[in-house]
Amino acid sequence: MEFEVTESIQDVHTNLALQLEMAKDGGKKVVGCLCSYSPTELILAANAIPVGLCGSTQEPIAKAEEILSADQCPKVKATFGRAIGGTCPLFPLADCIISETTCDGRKKMYELLERYVPMQVMDLPQKPEEPAAFDHWLSEVEKAKCFLEKQLDVIITDEDLARGIRMMNEQRKLMTRIHYSRKQSPSPISGLDFANITSKLNYYVDHEDYLNLLSAFAQELEERNAKNIHASGVEGPRILWTGLGNSLGCNKVLRLVEESGGIVVCSEGCGGVTRTEDLADETLPPLEAIAQRYLRVTCACMTPNTQRFEDLERLCADFDIDGVIDLAWQFCQPFEIESYRVRELVRDKLGLPFLHVTTDYSAQDEGQLKVRIEGFMEQIEASKQRTRKTVENESRRISA
Amino acid sequence: MQAKGLQGETEVMFVGIDIGSRAAKGVALSGDILLCSTVLDSGVHPGKTGQLVLEDLLTQSGKKKSDIKFIVGTGYGRVSLPFVDSTLTELSCHAAGAHFLNEDIRTVIDIGGQDSKVIRLDEDGNMLDFIMNDKCAAGTGRFMEVAAKALEIALGDLSSTAGKSVCPCEVTSMCAVFAESEVISLLASGQKPSDIAAGLHRSFARRVGAMAKRIGINGEVAFVGGVAKNEDLGRLICEYLEVNFVRLSIDPQIVGALGAAVVAQRSV
Ligand code: SF4
Ligand code: SF4
Repeated sequence: MEFEVTESIQDVHTNLALQLEMAKDGGKKVVGCLCSYSPTELILAANAIPVGLCGSTQEPIAKAEEILSADQCPKVKATFGRAIGGTCPLFPLADCIISETTCDGRKKMYELLERYVPMQVMDLPQKPEEPAAFDHWLSEVEKAKCFLEKQLDVIITDEDLARGIRMMNEQRKLMTRIHYSRKQSPSPISGLDFANITSKLNYYVDHEDYLNLLSAFAQELEERNAKNIHASGVEGPRILWTGLGNSLGCNKVLRLVEESGGIVVCSEGCGGVTRTEDLADETLPPLEAIAQRYLRVTCACMTPNTQRFEDLERLCADFDIDGVIDLAWQFCQPFEIESYRVRELVRDKLGLPFLHVTTDYSAQDEGQLKVRIEGFMEQIEASKQRTRKTVENESRRISA
Repeated sequence: MQAKGLQGETEVMFVGIDIGSRAAKGVALSGDILLCSTVLDSGVHPGKTGQLVLEDLLTQSGKKKSDIKFIVGTGYGRVSLPFVDSTLTELSCHAAGAHFLNEDIRTVIDIGGQDSKVIRLDEDGNMLDFIMNDKCAAGTGRFMEVAAKALEIALGDLSSTAGKSVCPCEVTSMCAVFAESEVISLLASGQKPSDIAAGLHRSFARRVGAMAKRIGINGEVAFVGGVAKNEDLGRLICEYLEVNFVRLSIDPQIVGALGAAVVAQRSV
């Protein structure tokens, strides 16, 4: 399905490297981010352009395996390969990178990545609810700010920070509107189109233009809803996506789900709605507000990460979900183990069909994945029939 | 297998065809009666093999093509069968097949040529939940083939060979790629084939058993698929899970095809 915004997005996306270069010639700086814990507000406050450098395609992995062992998750390998392989046009444009100690794979890979570009690895406390965690993290955010000041040769004032917060909050509010347009049943957009567009929408040169683009997209989706324009005639099972694999390049499973008749209408986790609906508090001292906001990110590298489960429960109800798919990349310990609790919640507490998929970026397991996904659609169909039957029996019982 | 004296008594029939990675199975059903079944090698052309399965069922049942009211295709090759009326995954078909054989079955363990699955079903035979092995061949029929070949015994003799073991050895590798070299080095170190076979079964059973526990076992449990013919392995999985498998009245390999035929019958 064609969306009006696609053209303008395509424009930004295809010429991104060139536009960034031009911006740099004009005196702008570029800062790389690799994860949802990178406080983008700091980068905006420094008047620099944030750019995501996370690897989400298969092709740079071979290069990475010359240095990293093969049994690392594809995200770690692709990110590293993309950086060192000389194939990514964006990486050389980054003046420096902000990163965090999330999972072990990333943390140890960063030690090697640091050889190629100046990097600040922020020490992320992994039990965020511990009282001491906040103070420590706040000092890490402060250090990251100083790092940027030094690397970019700027001074970041509290006013700059407050401006960065407002810019990010504006962006998040628009993204949240975009995500919530899919609450409507049938959804105005397929999950695949959604992932394609929003992954590209992660990149921008000028923030003002960017907000306009987001706002145009939000409006377009809302207009579709008002005019009853849907992604598909008869809506198949409404799927909530959780875990990993929520973006362009690694959307093999998402494609298979929609080819099998399902439609992904909500995504939780990185690339999903839970990363956008949480705003930084504009009434707090800015650095504290930033620190608080990022300590609330619900990644499986945190423990016990209870908020993720509360979010899942709320989203399943809000988006009228028929089934949940949880994806972990091969060799990703945090998401693989946390999946057990996701299954318990979805299957046992919410009574919804649940599928856990472990895969990588390659295409070699598509045949096997297809069986699982089609089987899952059959399971959802059976579960819907069962519910219908119970409802019928119940109404028969009442009328009798 | 052929139901005696029943040919021609029932008019219409329903067919299920299951094209797996190794074997192609077919079942013809009429009401509660399993008319006939067949198992062939999958071959390289699933479409052609499917045609052969269908012809074999017609010959055995002595019926004409026009007597078939509905055909359901399942298994990896289901998309290559132009003559079927609909398709369904082998997951749903195994659930339906097991339910047809015994309504008390709530868990099905299926080990086929290239994957293993545990399926949970409800009281109507609908699939409630399932889990499958990851993309490697550990815990699949393929692994058993590699192991049997390295031991230089026929696949069908693995069970009886293992049955003779007095002291099963510890086999650590469940990977089909490494199993071969591990078996060879165990043989070289003087271990008896029976002890190696028993050791392989033991670790295989642990792996499948652990997977089953991850989604939970309840009700009666059935063990189906080509690998279910291996009795020694079945016994070890039972031990691990502390259950007894229900006795099936048919070849465990054709339960998926039977399920497809059951669904075919339900479809009209
Ligand atoms: S899943 Fe966790 S580690 Fe990965 S990008 Fe998201 S927050 Fe970072
Ligand atoms: S959280 Fe998992 S998928 Fe993400 S980088 Fe770490 S190991 Fe890889």
